Amino acid sequence: MLVAENLTKEYKDVTAVDNVSFKVQPGRIFGLLGPNGAGKTTTIRTILNIIQPSSGRILFEGQPLNDHFFNIIGYLPEERGLYKKSKVIDIILYFARLKNMDKKTALAQADIWLKKLDISLYKNKRIDELSKGNQQKVQFITTIIHNPGLIVLDEPFSGFDPINQQLIREIIISLSGLGKTIILSTHQMDTAEKLCSDIFLINKGKEVCSGSLTEIKKRFGSNSVRINFEGDPSFINSLPSVVSVEKSESHTPFSSMEINLREDVLPKDFLKDIMGHLSVTHFSVIEPALDKIFIDVIRNSK
Amino acid sequence: MRKTLIIAKWEYIEKIRTRAFIISMFVTPAILLLFTLAPTWFNKSQEESTRAYGIIDTSGVYFNQVKDNLEVIKLKDEQPKFIIINLNNKKDNLNHLKKLGDRDVISNKLQGYLIILNGGTDSIRISFRSKGSGSFDDKDKIESVFNKVKNRIQLEKAGVDTSIINSVSKSVNINSIKIEENGKESKADFLTLFFSSFIFIMLLMMMVLSTGGMLVRSLLEEKSNRLIEILVSSCSKKELLAGKVIALSALGFTQIFIWSILGLVTAGAALVPAEAFDNILPMMGFFILGYVFYVSIFVGIGSIVTTEQEAQQMTSYISLILILPTIFAVSAIQYPGSTAVKILSYIPFTSASIMMMRLKIETIPIGELLTIVFIMLVSIYLSISFSSKLFKIGILSYGKRPAFKELIRWIREK
Repeated sequence: MLVAENLTKEYKDVTAVDNVSFKVQPGRIFGLLGPNGAGKTTTIRTILNIIQPSSGRILFEGQPLNDHFFNIIGYLPEERGLYKKSKVIDIILYFARLKNMDKKTALAQADIWLKKLDISLYKNKRIDELSKGNQQKVQFITTIIHNPGLIVLDEPFSGFDPINQQLIREIIISLSGLGKTIILSTHQMDTAEKLCSDIFLINKGKEVCSGSLTEIKKRFGSNSVRINFEGDPSFINSLPSVVSVEKSESHTPFSSMEINLREDVLPKDFLKDIMGHLSVTHFSVIEPALDKIFIDVIRNSK
Repeated sequence: MRKTLIIAKWEYIEKIRTRAFIISMFVTPAILLLFTLAPTWFNKSQEESTRAYGIIDTSGVYFNQVKDNLEVIKLKDEQPKFIIINLNNKKDNLNHLKKLGDRDVISNKLQGYLIILNGGTDSIRISFRSKGSGSFDDKDKIESVFNKVKNRIQLEKAGVDTSIINSVSKSVNINSIKIEENGKESKADFLTLFFSSFIFIMLLMMMVLSTGGMLVRSLLEEKSNRLIEILVSSCSKKELLAGKVIALSALGFTQIFIWSILGLVTAGAALVPAEAFDNILPMMGFFILGYVFYVSIFVGIGSIVTTEQEAQQMTSYISLILILPTIFAVSAIQYPGSTAVKILSYIPFTSASIMMMRLKIETIPIGELLTIVFIMLVSIYLSISFSSKLFKIGILSYGKRPAFKELIRWIREK
């Protein structure tokens, strides 16, 4: 587990990170979200021990950061690039050795990962002979080859086509399943929504909102359900649990509706209420999209 | 330490394979060799051919003796150096003779010609007409021969004894010999001294510029693609800096090593005069001190520049400072003890170059030598600690290049 306690980083005339605290649990992907210039990079750099915070501290597995920490970090920066004139395998080995791996293990692991990412063919090619997507795969391998306990990924999917995005997503999920502590920084809310269990939203250096994804959705979402049904829905408006009916479409014989419920009403109780009157073919709780929350929260914080 | 070595090895191999390094490794000495050898070859090729000069002697007194005295001068291959032709004849006036002479010079029949105008015993006006290029040495020679002849004729007229005239007119050449500490004598020839110290200064400059430039470029690249962030999240900044400096120094030594071999080969082939290798060990010492000093400065600079243009600008400023000592080279050789030269040898930026020159031309007291070495070592220490402070912050800042005030703040920051 990684714990950030009251992190503050001040520069000459700006406070890039302002008294921020959070916990990153192993096995749960932690989404660090925020608009450009919010303080994400500074937060990441402090976590990675690249810069020292002005105050506050970072603990990993209960220990403050030290030099040993270098070997358990896997970091993928937002801007990518490798030594263009060097061979794929040489670069992978170089970074693996810098993470204290011995050469033999590094070579074996390199082969496994090259195969997993389907680029074994390019093992002995120079970086500038590879396509951009394949270069990014190589960089992804250098991030995780040493089996890091803490993985920090900054926009890991940018530059990948949908197929490779899926491949990378699966790997990230499997790493999380292995109990790795993973921090994912991104602007892509749909990515965060699909991957992250916990969300930390930062703006202008300050925490705007945080918590588990479901909790946040609940907090910011209204209590709404969608139903598809057969029958006459006119009674619904007069139910005490209903605040309003948002969308109503009827295509005989099936109709659909979105209904705002009173805050203290549980969706399942509402379902029981209507079951006797209508034949319900679909019932779901409407969650607000994360990007809507993101935009609303950032706007409100201004 | 282990990580430092991993980085050093990677940087060394990465850079030694670059085209720029390979080119500078072989082209630099080739260019220098050409530059230093060209003047001597040029002189030689001129010397080796016999050249024809004309004389219009309106007095009729000097021609024969000047001709005899010039034509005895031999080239190395025993051929006469000059052929002297009488351009005077009774029929034509001077203007017409001049026209004829000019025509012969222009059509390369003659290298040039001399007009001796007699306006009475004491007033002689002489002009030397030629196309100008390359005939200055010849003009000096002809001038001195003419003056000798003129003196002789005047002495003879005054009735001085021939044997006295002979002994008076024998000129003595001065051999310059440089005294070395160990009592050894060595013949010092201005050009050899100049060029042999010049070679080392130029080599130092080329090396600093090529490896320094390479460092700045690679740092810039690592900054722009954020590899630097991966590196500093894998090892400490100190290890990274040390690794880079070690790799660069190793590159420098590789160059020196290869150049030394080239030097020995060319010396063996007698292309480079053996005197060029006098005092080679202390010179190498200063070469290395100068190199390390400048490389450590480049590390600091490399970490603050943010664009290729800035990098180039910075590199050219540094190269100006580096080449500065060569401006003083001539005066340093002519006046080895001069104050300006002494002062420059205490300034770390010029010290290495000036010292390599001074070691060639004068004997430096051991106390002074040690003081200067000490100053260099202290400067290296200071520039490394400044650079590492700039490095620690500079590698993580992007966008605008920091203002000078800000750099000072970086250096002060703990």
